[in-house]
Amino acid sequence: MDSFIQQLINGITLGGIYALIALGYTMVYGVIQLINFAHGEFFAAGGYVGVIFLSFFTGLGYMETHPILCLTASFALAMMYCAYLAIGVEKIAYKPLRKEARLAALLSALGVSIFLSNGLMLTQGVYDKAYPSELFQGGFSFGIITIGYLQVLIVCLTGALLVALNLLVFKTKIGMAMRATAQDKTMSALVAIGSNKIISLTFGIGAGLAAAAGIMVGLYYGSVRYDMGFLPGIKAFSAAVLGGIGNITGAMLGGLIIGMVEIFGAGYISGEYKDVFAFIILIGVLYFKPTGIMGENIDDTRV
Amino acid sequence: MSKKIFSIMVMALLTTLFIISTASAESLKIGSMSPLTGPYASDGTDIKNGVLTAIEVFEKQEGGIPGYDKIELFPQDDVCDPRNAVAAANKLINLKVVGVIGAYCSSCTIPASETLDEAKIVMITPASTNEQVTDRGLPYMFRMCGRDDDQAPAAAKFMKESLNAKTIFIIDDKTTYSQGLADGVSKNCKALGMNVVTHDHVNQGDKDFSAVLTKVKGANPDILYMSLQGYSPAALMSIQAKRMGIKAQIVTQDAVFQPKYMEVAKEAAEGVYLTYGFTDPTTPEYKAFQQIYEPKYGKIAAYATYAYDSTIALLKAIKAAGSTDPDKIKAELMKLEFNGASKHIKFKENGDSGSSYIAFKVVKGEFVPYWEPTNGLIK
Repeated sequence: MDSFIQQLINGITLGGIYALIALGYTMVYGVIQLINFAHGEFFAAGGYVGVIFLSFFTGLGYMETHPILCLTASFALAMMYCAYLAIGVEKIAYKPLRKEARLAALLSALGVSIFLSNGLMLTQGVYDKAYPSELFQGGFSFGIITIGYLQVLIVCLTGALLVALNLLVFKTKIGMAMRATAQDKTMSALVAIGSNKIISLTFGIGAGLAAAAGIMVGLYYGSVRYDMGFLPGIKAFSAAVLGGIGNITGAMLGGLIIGMVEIFGAGYISGEYKDVFAFIILIGVLYFKPTGIMGENIDDTRV
Repeated sequence: MSKKIFSIMVMALLTTLFIISTASAESLKIGSMSPLTGPYASDGTDIKNGVLTAIEVFEKQEGGIPGYDKIELFPQDDVCDPRNAVAAANKLINLKVVGVIGAYCSSCTIPASETLDEAKIVMITPASTNEQVTDRGLPYMFRMCGRDDDQAPAAAKFMKESLNAKTIFIIDDKTTYSQGLADGVSKNCKALGMNVVTHDHVNQGDKDFSAVLTKVKGANPDILYMSLQGYSPAALMSIQAKRMGIKAQIVTQDAVFQPKYMEVAKEAAEGVYLTYGFTDPTTPEYKAFQQIYEPKYGKIAAYATYAYDSTIALLKAIKAAGSTDPDKIKAELMKLEFNGASKHIKFKENGDSGSSYIAFKVVKGEFVPYWEPTNGLIK
């Protein structure tokens, strides 16, 4: 039972990270029906920007005096950097292809992914970059169960970001404009919603969330690596599809499910088939419900 | 008309360029093969750097190879993928290289060596420790590092005698190397009367080990044996194990012998034991290597030293043979005996050069020799 609770906590942590990345896939798909395969690289880039700033602050000694401030600043800078990176990528690689067949943009996305991942390798090196390790080590222990401070931080921060995103999409004018663009670009343009601006915003928000996930992964696992975007990218994409691609709540749910299934599969059956379990669930759900778990109300909650 | 003349002129220019480039600067071509991208890019880059350092030192100290202006390296990227390794081997055959240093992963060395063997090209692996590398009896296959069937008994003996271990939890990541070694350790531990609680597997490229580590915590073994390819997953697992409060002593293997391991794992690396071939860092040969390598590429990592020695051995043999005939090079390699940077080098009949596995302990961010199989603790 103890180890069940421990695995549950592990699963929520991993699932939260997947959920954050999955949101970017699902939002972009909702607005322009593109599967942005370069999304995993924004996650990796976020991890790198985070380690660069955190190491910088640590070097200056601010980390000891104002840890919360430094962490917040690193998160903000990384999220902003990746948001602008994503907006730039959209302008260069996707916008010119918007009128072409969907496959063209998809291939362009694959190309961007390879370009960004190799760019990271060339500029940052092939070696792992370590995060400053003094941050939030240790945790709460209850008998055999250990909850790391970082796990608490990840879960809380993920929750806060998800709530903020929900408020933005469903309670603000910008969110309404996003939903309108997602439903019908021509019609929303007629009522004076600038679709280019909304598309940029969507890319920016998605990449910002992925960047936040990147820093969390760096803090939690202790290091980042140039190729770290690939596997979580694929998993998060599966999570988005599982939840019903285009649906924000679905992506969150999908992320949590994939994370849980992975951890419980590895914990109770065998670690070597960890990835297989996640994909079996995905195939199963898609077989019985091709639109994904939350796919039915696609018209009103889609972004 | 003028168009025609122009195109002829361009053709002529291109042809002369081609003739000039092939005629001038005769270089001796050697190849290297290691993962330069993908999850083991860092380990593969160390090998390439070791080879480049060897070429530099050899040209400086021994004045290169008579008849050639320079020694040219063609580094190939195999991504630790057997298909790429065979493709890289074919590319090197087309380039007409005289010898190949590589590969890193045993799963690449084995198929690539078979391709190279058909073209009669000498291959020296600096890093593939799986038994099958030299046990297939390929005539042009040599190995600079040790063998897993020497490493596994040494590791088992160390855990039994020095650490007094009774229960052991083994994790591998399913490569030819890591799984082969893990099986060997498991077998040897059982033979010594230890109890192998579980032998679990993770996937290459995994970052999250919380599930399997929760199992370790539940089982509470004396030893957690990590048989993982590369320092990166080992560092991640050490950090996560420490954070979970796992009491088991971590013991690991040669692929983790990299300063980067401590850089990433930091305090979590302290007190970890691993087995690796013994190298004396005070010999003049090692220092000569260190002097050139460290300013350019940073701290010397696991297989850079073996890659360096493999290259020096190959170049020495080519020079002694006085030709690029593979059989003459092989004969010279068999005769060769010298002090390398890593160890005293003398190839055996099957192409192996012997193992000298000892246990190291991580103390204050350094690998310190701790125990050796015959005399026990190293003072």
